[in-house]
Amino acid sequence: MSSQTLLELVEIIAKALVDDPESVQVDAVGSGRHPRIELSVAQDDIGKVIGKDGRTAQSMRVLLNAAASKLDGGRAYLDIVD
Amino acid sequence: MSNHIETTLEPNAETGDTETGDAVIAATANDGASEMEPNMADFADNPADGAAAATSAEEEGGHSEIPEAATTSADKEQDEDFTEDGRADDALDFVVDVLGKMGMDCTVDLMENGPNEPDSDVRIEISGEDSNRIIGRKGQTLSALQFLTNRVVNRPPLDRRHVLIDADGYRQRREGALSQMAKKLGKQAVSEHKVITFEPMSAQDRRIVHLALAKFPGVVTKSEGRGASRRVQILPVDED
Repeated sequence: MSSQTLLELVEIIAKALVDDPESVQVDAVGSGRHPRIELSVAQDDIGKVIGKDGRTAQSMRVLLNAAASKLDGGRAYLDIVD
Repeated sequence: MSNHIETTLEPNAETGDTETGDAVIAATANDGASEMEPNMADFADNPADGAAAATSAEEEGGHSEIPEAATTSADKEQDEDFTEDGRADDALDFVVDVLGKMGMDCTVDLMENGPNEPDSDVRIEISGEDSNRIIGRKGQTLSALQFLTNRVVNRPPLDRRHVLIDADGYRQRREGALSQMAKKLGKQAVSEHKVITFEPMSAQDRRIVHLALAKFPGVVTKSEGRGASRRVQILPVDED
């Protein structure tokens, strides 16, 4: 449940960043307090979710951790997969 | 000729304590090693990226609250040569959606631009219970939110519109404190004839330092380094 919220957060952000929101997929890998979230997007959109010097991905991680912290004091991890 | 000191503004940068919000700049440079905190800025690269990059994702401490939805109220005036293209509302919607999903208890408002601010700027103010949480350690959560919102709103063919997000006046206070600190260090650069180097800062923050010292007698400022390690230096001007 809690990781569902975090998945949705990543999904909202990713969909707003990409050209092809339909192709955005998020999955929770593993369980427990520190879920790992895998984000995949259309091939052409990968740059948009990573950003120059990884800054976009990094910013998503910051928000994700703020959300996880608010939720249950935990952390969350984001991987961008292709 | 001139020796070199490092300056740090934040005393307990890595302690990971619960301090969020203001205190960032509060510490002053004492002698020896003082230090400045944030990320980079420059006239050259500033206009492009308004947001500060968070260089590391750290957890933030703090109390917990019951998640609440963000609320919204929008008002934005238009000017003769600028037509609102809906992106201010897009930015607002994005921020509301994200903070809502994060469970943050806050209100989000679109603000009018001041007389000296470009009409194309999008100013968003966040306030409420969870402000400190939204600001994050050293402002990094707020910066991340601002960076992403800029990314979302500024798509290639369109002219860039700066999205500036503040929470409970944090950026405003911080800007004032950073500017004061810059002047203090400018004085030090002159009196001790030293080059003073800041910690890496965001483009936005570097710009504040440059502006604060633009008319300061006896020093020049420049930025050095690339990307996330770009930092401002204050250099005393040789008079004789």
